[in-house]
Amino acid sequence: MNKRDTNAADAAFAEQAKQHFDESVACLDGTTRSRLNQARHAALAATQTSRPAWVQWLPASGVAAAAIIALVMWSGGPQPENLAIPAVASDMEILLADESLEMLEELEFYSWIDLDEPTDELPEPANHVG
Amino acid sequence: MTSCAASFTVSCLAKSRTGVDTLQSEAKLNRFFAEVEKRALRIAEISIRNRDDALDLVQEAMIKLARNYAGKTEAEWTPLFYRILQNRIRDWQRRQAVRNRVMVWFGKSRDGDDYDAVAAAPDPAGRAPDEELQSHEAMASLEVAIADLPGRQREAFMLRMFEGLDVARTAAAMGCSEGSVKTHYSRAVHSLRVTLGEHWQ
Repeated sequence: MNKRDTNAADAAFAEQAKQHFDESVACLDGTTRSRLNQARHAALAATQTSRPAWVQWLPASGVAAAAIIALVMWSGGPQPENLAIPAVASDMEILLADESLEMLEELEFYSWIDLDEPTDELPEPANHVG
Repeated sequence: MTSCAASFTVSCLAKSRTGVDTLQSEAKLNRFFAEVEKRALRIAEISIRNRDDALDLVQEAMIKLARNYAGKTEAEWTPLFYRILQNRIRDWQRRQAVRNRVMVWFGKSRDGDDYDAVAAAPDPAGRAPDEELQSHEAMASLEVAIADLPGRQREAFMLRMFEGLDVARTAAAMGCSEGSVKTHYSRAVHSLRVTLGEHWQ
């Protein structure tokens, strides 16, 4: 079979295939046609409830914000040693210290000491002679 | 006062004009979808061998076109629609390939094996039963052969032959050059003819 015959045979085959395809489209069952109809109306309805314009920028904004935060933390942000000690760490320190437990057991005593604690300044003698 | 009334009138007319434009645009889209949807469904179904999923893909393509490209000219809609649909089909096939690998790992069979092209064939259209059967069988064997083609050849064949797009619009839909379309299409036709044999009709 030469080139011209091959092309002619291919063209005839393609026409036959097109005919079978068109028949299969024309004979689609009612259920499928109905579902296509519903899909079309759903698509058209979706255009009426389309998202506001700013929503389409949300992903890009999120990426940009993440990039800025990463840049600040990597280059210009405060170093870890300058950060204040988190409250959780100090709480853990208190809880793990032995003396704090003793203090909790004798809380009333320490309250009393706190009330009667003398001042740092010594009281002046009543009749100072000098 | 007069200027306020005039601007109000202009505003109302503009809104009315916009509403009319929207309705006209929707009517055009509706006509376009109605014209293309059945062939699109069959093309998607032949590609993925599953009618329910093909319906979902066609609907997704319609929604995307309506949302993002309704403002384009009607001549641009067909290649755009098929480009969206082909992307959806490729995504579906990738997901299915991963799913099949996982299913094989758990010792389950592939879903695609359950597809029966004859059972999914269309209803009779007033022809003799033997003619109908012959047509169904021919289409079923053609579908199997098309499904076995390489992806780009399959796309080129169905867009050129089934949808009737010319080379330029097929190239736009496939996102490749016109030369590639011609090559893919030619190879697809030849391969299908050899696979199905000279007696297929």
